[in-house]
Amino acid sequence: MSRLNGLVPAALARPFTAIGGVLFLIAAMLPWATFILNDGPYPEKSTLQFFDAPFELTGFRWHLLLFGVLAVIVTFAPVRGKERVLRSFGWGGLLIGVIGALFIAGKGGGIGAITAADGATALGSIVAIVGGALLVLGASANGLGDIPEWPTSLFGWTGMKQRLEAWVVLLIAFAGVLWLVAQTLTAGGIGGAAFPYAGPVFLAFLGFAGGLIGALHGVGVTRWVSQLSEKHRPFSIVVLLLCAFALPFPFTGAGSQYWMQVAATIGVYAATAIGLNIVVGLSGLLDLGYVAFMGIGAFVAANLSGVAASALGWNLPFPLAALIAAVVAGIFGAIVGSPTLRVRGDYLAIVTLAFGEIFSRAAQNNIGDLTGGASAMPGIPPVTMFGTAFNEPIKLFGAQLPSGVLYYFMIVLVVGLVMAVFANLKNSRMGRAWIAIREDEDAARAMGIRTGKAKILAFLVGATLAGLAGAIFVHKLGTASYDSFKFLESVTLLAAVILGGMGTIPGAVLGASLLFVLPEKLREFSDYRLFVFGLALVLIMRFRPQGLVPDRIRRAEFAGETAEGKSIEEIEEQAVLEQEQADREPEAPAAPKEGRP
Amino acid sequence: MSAARHSASETVLEAQGVTMIFGGLTALNNVSISLGEGRIVGLIGPNGAGKTTLFNCLTGLYTPTRGAVRLRGKQLPSDPAKVTSAGIARTFQNIRLFPNMTVLENVLVGRHIRMKQGPIASVFHGPGFRRGEAAARAKSIELLEFVGLNKLDHEVARNLPYGDQRRLEIARALATEPEVLLLDEPTAGMNPQETEEARQLIFRIRDTGVSVVVIEHDTKFIFSLCDTVSVLVQGEVLVEGSPETVRDDPRVIEAYLGKPREEVAAEVAEAAAAIEHHREDS
Repeated sequence: MSRLNGLVPAALARPFTAIGGVLFLIAAMLPWATFILNDGPYPEKSTLQFFDAPFELTGFRWHLLLFGVLAVIVTFAPVRGKERVLRSFGWGGLLIGVIGALFIAGKGGGIGAITAADGATALGSIVAIVGGALLVLGASANGLGDIPEWPTSLFGWTGMKQRLEAWVVLLIAFAGVLWLVAQTLTAGGIGGAAFPYAGPVFLAFLGFAGGLIGALHGVGVTRWVSQLSEKHRPFSIVVLLLCAFALPFPFTGAGSQYWMQVAATIGVYAATAIGLNIVVGLSGLLDLGYVAFMGIGAFVAANLSGVAASALGWNLPFPLAALIAAVVAGIFGAIVGSPTLRVRGDYLAIVTLAFGEIFSRAAQNNIGDLTGGASAMPGIPPVTMFGTAFNEPIKLFGAQLPSGVLYYFMIVLVVGLVMAVFANLKNSRMGRAWIAIREDEDAARAMGIRTGKAKILAFLVGATLAGLAGAIFVHKLGTASYDSFKFLESVTLLAAVILGGMGTIPGAVLGASLLFVLPEKLREFSDYRLFVFGLALVLIMRFRPQGLVPDRIRRAEFAGETAEGKSIEEIEEQAVLEQEQADREPEAPAAPKEGRP
Repeated sequence: MSAARHSASETVLEAQGVTMIFGGLTALNNVSISLGEGRIVGLIGPNGAGKTTLFNCLTGLYTPTRGAVRLRGKQLPSDPAKVTSAGIARTFQNIRLFPNMTVLENVLVGRHIRMKQGPIASVFHGPGFRRGEAAARAKSIELLEFVGLNKLDHEVARNLPYGDQRRLEIARALATEPEVLLLDEPTAGMNPQETEEARQLIFRIRDTGVSVVVIEHDTKFIFSLCDTVSVLVQGEVLVEGSPETVRDDPRVIEAYLGKPREEVAAEVAEAAAAIEHHREDS
């Protein structure tokens, strides 16, 4: 948002950010609501412990306080890239303030609830919003600097010592990621009757997490860590897997049956989203019926599980059933992909849309007695391997882990496998062919790529991965219903891929997590749930069209701001002018390169 | 220019009586050209003469309505991918790189048909896969150096300056190991220095044993580059021969370069007289 740059005179940058930070501190101490929230059946919750507890620093107050203190320190400390850091704190605190204000005003009947009413004053949210705005404006006054580069070793070490240093840094970083994941997952609690503030608490936490990540990105930490992890790839993968496996243990706070279920569901959709990313992100083929492949995998696995509702009545061991499910889904993928030989772009999207509809209608009407129809196929037994049913709680390393944890472990492995398949394919002859087709299909053909075969292969691989995910999904859920595989799910998966960042793994995982957690977390907005959800999507796409974790290349494509604070349009315009000038002066040397960092 | 220029050489690419009709429009009418091994053939002609249409017929993008295209005596399939595998590579008039891929990746896509890894190998990245990948990378970097794009491997293609994009397109085409390279206006939009570099590059490509067909508007460039030149006008070959023959042919001067100088001079004089007359009247 370069429009904010220089809106405030440069001389005022420091006062603005300092005052903004102080306002955060004040907002953290002030009461936020003039009325008693949620009275009635939950008397102990109506003590305003959340929104009206001066000097009791918990949750969002603690986050605002942290942002405020850090903002004041950073304002006066010689920190490289401080503008981005301050701006991130500003946006984060602003979001916390806006969410609090909207929620309290909505519950308490208007503006009075967040200003003064019935002899009480509660200006916390307003002060936080003003503080956030001051921080953002002040931080943008001088334009945004470059993100600083960090040396590979902070101490100039080499060899073994450097490796050790990198390992320690990576351990700390991944532990931080684990903490953030656990916090995000559990922020706001389960919600519903147990804790009616779950929605705003969760959204406010997202504001904090976003501000924190933005600040770390601004000082160059995230880039540094990702470079280190790229350099020490095997080590990073092992640590990341260990972190994923550590999530259910009691010390993370996420080790309950409920959170394991949520995490496992996210994992299933993440694996599916990565599969879809091959079709949409790499090959550029818009697939609007993708969830049907997950459904095919699910129903195949269900029919091979010995469930009573199946006309087949076969009972195969789970690994074999999952394999067959994936293969069958893959075959259907190739069949659906075959029209890609003839149709392109929008028309292909319609073909896939129609296929998705055919699948869900066929399943609804129980064609071939294989889907259970409208009454679904209940009672699918849990996966049982090595004599253990996967829905049982287990004891591991002396810790009692909740039931469902084995599904979570299995899904972590499957997501890891799917990630490996995606990454390897992307960096291969096939992956390059897919990307070439996405970029320019005619040019790809002129390079000798059999585009038809390549596109069918993309559909086949994507569908296989979705089928595998579907097989796990159906055992975890215990019921196979056509209702789980409708058009809306396809759209949500597609949104996950686009929102997260096309063509990247972390993007697909993050997108899937957000899209399948948000509706869960926003339950008590009941009627407005999907509205808020949709609004969030629109805002993210407006202000971050490249997705949350963009491809290195898409990052370049969408980079609205550059080191000199020019937009791409300006640079291109300048390049055209230079080109024209070079054309006018035939003796001049080649036009200077575009100065893009 | 090489001494072998006028000696006889085996025909590599041959188009015989190619006719291309779109609806009622005859874009090409009975066009025949032939390309000798290690030769550079130029195609010139005014806009809309059918030069690019002929290229599209040679590369399988269009199937000619009548006539045949043969590579070393073998009829070419009408599928661009198969034509490229057979040994014909091309560049495009309006540059068509893969804009969001890096420079190196663009050339690696060109290696696609000369690599043998299937989908299974691509998933597992075994030792054989890695050997093939390393070889393809080495070859691609070598080609990038050959066209003069050193040290730009990891730049995104769309960020390259115009002249470098043209070079990258040539490197990508060469990566398919073609026998024949078709260049569609390789110097469009280039300044004289870049044009000269392009000329030297095409000579170097020819010296590696690749035969070249070039479409160009810049007649000076074509006449100093090619062994033979064909002039296309309204879908037909008007003149064919050595640059000297073509340059001095009055039909070419009229159809392509404009009317003979004396006629133009006469017209100018006429117009001047008319203006003079008009002034006197008012």
